Amino acid sequence: MIDAVLVMNTQGKPRLAKFYKSLSPVKQQEIVRKVYSGLSSRAEHFCNFVEADEIFGARTKLVYKHFATLYFVFVIDSGESELGILDLIQVFVETLDSIFKNVCELDIVFNFNKVNTVLDEIVMGGQVVETNSTEIVKSVQEIFK
Amino acid sequence: MALSGMRGLSVFISDVRNCQNKELERARVDKELANIRTKFKNDKGLTPYEKKKYVWKMLYIFMLGYDVDFGHMEAVSLISAPKYAEKQVGYIVTSSLLNENHDFLRLVINTVRNDIIGRNETFQCLALTMVGNIGGKEFSESLAPDVQKLLISNSCRPLVRKKAALCLLRLYRKNPDVVSVDGWADRMSQLLDEREIGVLTAVMSLLVALVANNPDAYWNCVSKCVRVLERLTRSQDIPQEYTYYGIPSPWLQVKTMRVLQYFPAIDDPNIRRSLFEVLQRVLMGTDAVKNINKNNATHAVLFEALALVMHLDAEKDMMAQCVGLLGKFIAVREPNIRYLGLENMTRMLMVSDVQESIKRHQVQIITSLRDPDIRFRIIFIDLLVQCISLCSIRRRSLDLLYGMCDVTNAKDIVEELLQYLTTADFAIREELALKAAILAEKFAPDLSWYVDVILQLIEKAGDFVSDDIWYRVVQFVTNNDDLQPYAAAKARDFLDKPAVHETMVKVAGYLLGEYSHLLSRRPGCSPKEVFSIIHDKFATVSTPTKAILLSAYIKILLHSQTVDPELQNHVLAVFRKNETYLDAEVQQRASEYYALSRKGPSMVDVMAEMPKFPERQSALLKKAEDTEVDVADTSATKLRLMQLTSTAVVVADQKPANGVHPALTRVPSGQRNIEAPTVPVANGGQSPAPVDFLAIEAAPTHSAPESSPLVGPGDSLALALMDNQASTVQPTGSVTEWFDALCRKDSGILYEDPFIQIGLKAEWRGNQGRIVLFLGNKHTAPLLSVKAVILPPRHMQLLTSNVPDTIPPRAQVQCPVEVTNLSPSREIPVLDFSYNNSSAMVSFKLRLPVIMSKFLQGATLAPADYIARWKALMGPPNKLLQEVVRGVKPLPLQEMSDLLGSLHVAIAPGYDPNVNNIVGAATYFSENPTLCLIRIETDPADRTQIRLTVGTPDTSVALELKEYIKERLVDIPSGAAPTSLPGMPSPADDLVGPAASLAGLI
Repeated sequence: MIDAVLVMNTQGKPRLAKFYKSLSPVKQQEIVRKVYSGLSSRAEHFCNFVEADEIFGARTKLVYKHFATLYFVFVIDSGESELGILDLIQVFVETLDSIFKNVCELDIVFNFNKVNTVLDEIVMGGQVVETNSTEIVKSVQEIFK
Repeated sequence: MALSGMRGLSVFISDVRNCQNKELERARVDKELANIRTKFKNDKGLTPYEKKKYVWKMLYIFMLGYDVDFGHMEAVSLISAPKYAEKQVGYIVTSSLLNENHDFLRLVINTVRNDIIGRNETFQCLALTMVGNIGGKEFSESLAPDVQKLLISNSCRPLVRKKAALCLLRLYRKNPDVVSVDGWADRMSQLLDEREIGVLTAVMSLLVALVANNPDAYWNCVSKCVRVLERLTRSQDIPQEYTYYGIPSPWLQVKTMRVLQYFPAIDDPNIRRSLFEVLQRVLMGTDAVKNINKNNATHAVLFEALALVMHLDAEKDMMAQCVGLLGKFIAVREPNIRYLGLENMTRMLMVSDVQESIKRHQVQIITSLRDPDIRFRIIFIDLLVQCISLCSIRRRSLDLLYGMCDVTNAKDIVEELLQYLTTADFAIREELALKAAILAEKFAPDLSWYVDVILQLIEKAGDFVSDDIWYRVVQFVTNNDDLQPYAAAKARDFLDKPAVHETMVKVAGYLLGEYSHLLSRRPGCSPKEVFSIIHDKFATVSTPTKAILLSAYIKILLHSQTVDPELQNHVLAVFRKNETYLDAEVQQRASEYYALSRKGPSMVDVMAEMPKFPERQSALLKKAEDTEVDVADTSATKLRLMQLTSTAVVVADQKPANGVHPALTRVPSGQRNIEAPTVPVANGGQSPAPVDFLAIEAAPTHSAPESSPLVGPGDSLALALMDNQASTVQPTGSVTEWFDALCRKDSGILYEDPFIQIGLKAEWRGNQGRIVLFLGNKHTAPLLSVKAVILPPRHMQLLTSNVPDTIPPRAQVQCPVEVTNLSPSREIPVLDFSYNNSSAMVSFKLRLPVIMSKFLQGATLAPADYIARWKALMGPPNKLLQEVVRGVKPLPLQEMSDLLGSLHVAIAPGYDPNVNNIVGAATYFSENPTLCLIRIETDPADRTQIRLTVGTPDTSVALELKEYIKERLVDIPSGAAPTSLPGMPSPADDLVGPAASLAGLI
């Protein structure tokens, strides 16, 4: 299961934070901070998985991808495939890209509501709901018609 | 860039963004929250648009990390609004802002239900998504039947059905009763016939949860799952949109294989056969490809297939095939694949049949220990420790682990070994304990850690800890004043534990006897308390331990600042009682201590703290060597020993004659109790030329220590381990400057103080080098206990000849060192040198100038050739490493070019059309020579930033070389860490699609 999806910039500012487990706001912010400090110290050529036992509980991992000024981070438990999630991040970004036409951090900042909706069309209740970028774009457009 | 479409929201977001600091941001947010609160309170007539705007603002504030404790009602009430836009925002915000236990949610159950059973698909989707994200038990009870209906309905669009599947999954998690086992097994089986991939993916997630709880009930789904896999792996009827970089939905493949792992075992021969056919196809048909996304996806499927094969307990052949694949994965450079390869290899070890085949890959596994990524090293160590636990390969694994230990990973390895000790086989415990102790001593990042490790070692495996190990701790603690209170406190803590091993009683007794007075102010550490906690053990310990404890008692008594009559009575009574003890040693101590302690504080001097030990070689190493006699000569322990000790070559006051070394005399090395193995000194017939810079007779000018400049904290001298012996002898110049000079030329002074001068002369050829250290005694008395140990970095092989124990007055000794560079690294060897000038021990550590550029040689290429090679490196695969370096020391172009030239890079002027760029080439020699191309792009407007690109066929060379050059450029000659800007675009040609556009835009 996907426990959380976070998008933050390389300064650690959250741009999207969605938790699929019920956590207090304080705990959520603590996690955002810890995730950032965990990722910001990693070199570019390191692998994209980080054990997150200390951040999110036993047998959880961070799967992340670094695009320009943004980290896209999925927190997952042992039930998910790490590489599969990495692919899903790619789908997420490709979808944002086709919605915002060359997406950049500012698009995500000023349209965080739309970004939330895109994520809802990809992940629901911690499960993958759709992986087909065309289909996702269609449903988001329907919602924002 | 598109704006949110709500002006107020966009303005607020940009206000927050413009805040200079956290306080301003908080002020702006508080102002907004107050504003929203008043609006919600006062104006009953907010327009839908306004409501929507405020609720989005609240969500934004919440995301930034501020508490939003009002307005929940407004968010929830939007769900019931008739207008689409309001409903939409209501659903989205509610599922982000509220959690499942929120009371308000109950208020909208009816509305949600109406939306779910209604005809508006968009409403259905919104409602299902919200319930799927935060629906609780009450939703479960009232909505489950409706959601189920949507899932199995034929008339619903796939869009709705897939959401219904996941919504049902949430409801099932909240209340498993909503899915009745009988009815649903068949329905699930029918649902698996679904053709639409999106629905199928969601259904598969639901199935995972159902099967995980009750695999028996869903057996009928197994064959359907295998059929889904067949369809996917054969690419039958897969719409283009559901292929990801040409692979039919990797997610569905992975999920389906995951479901199958929840069934305990698949016995039906037909199903098993078709499944193995599918798996075989996956295992065989996957090759690494260049597109990184495609590569990811194929490997995602492949790793899942491997996991399934392991789960199915496949035939030996197939298992061996899997191990073979994993072996391939752990050898690749791509870190993700390597990481998963290692992780799966660890899992594979549980399968007994394959241990032998895994053994073949151990050397590959080992290389991961050097990975810059700590996580890799941890997994790897875990893997090896598990190997140790398997009888068949454990000796080798332990040896490897021991042999591969270095400063970077010692802490992890030792801690892992400690963990493993308690469960390890008895046969291997003593060796484990000994090796852990040696590694802890050799590589301790700090001494308190070392004390911790040894005490834990004694606690966990006291029976297997020889006396030598605890003697060594005592030596360290005695010689390090700073460590004494720490060690005493630790020892006291260990005595508090329920079952204390006798060795622990010994070491704790000794340490507390010596140093517990340093703790007397701490709670529970008064002399009386310490005495009683030690004396608790007295009755049960053996005679030698009793003797140690008696000494501890008298020391505690006499060290305490005020005499506690009660304590005195206790201690005297104990002595009294043991005056008639059977054992003569105990009896004698008891009688003597009784007499002494009655004389009171005047006897304090007799019982003063033990003096420092002379520095000596660890007896443990000797022991390790003894235990190794039955193992082949190449064992890691032996190799390690050879690195730690050295053999002696004396060239006292003589010059080599006729190009041949004078007779080599091996000198027994002082207090060392190991007879060091002799390393033959390579003698290629060319001995170093007489050195002129060591004119000891002529230049005894730097003899006044007080005139010597102080050494800065950045200097390598400050490393001396035994700080109590850090001498007052100071170098007569800057060690850093000498080092830097030697980086640029090949002979010169490495170190000099009033007693000794160390000169260095080096020759380099390819990846080999020969360094001769000239140790000159400038003094009129002999230098004693001379020790020179070179700690080689892992990537270098060093053959060191030994140094004589004594250097006669005014004599010079040569110490040749053969260097072979094996792999690219910026690490450099460190010379650990010490001597005794008959009044004090002097010790220091010196970096040896075996830097990367010594193995570089400029390479001149024709322009066409240069460009062709550059293009080849551009890929694919891209082998150019690029970085924007800021904070570069501003240099004119020519000087920067000269600097690069001084690193032995051949500059190729004019090859690059842009005059502000410098390009060049060099060959780097390690095991194989590698041609490296280098380009520096400078910015005439800002000289402090450059773009540095290094390309080599071997990216590990490129990485090290890039860092090396960067270090030179950022702060010449050494010092501050280079700063690179994380926000700068990553090399754009490395990315495709959106990544590239992201990179380009920001």
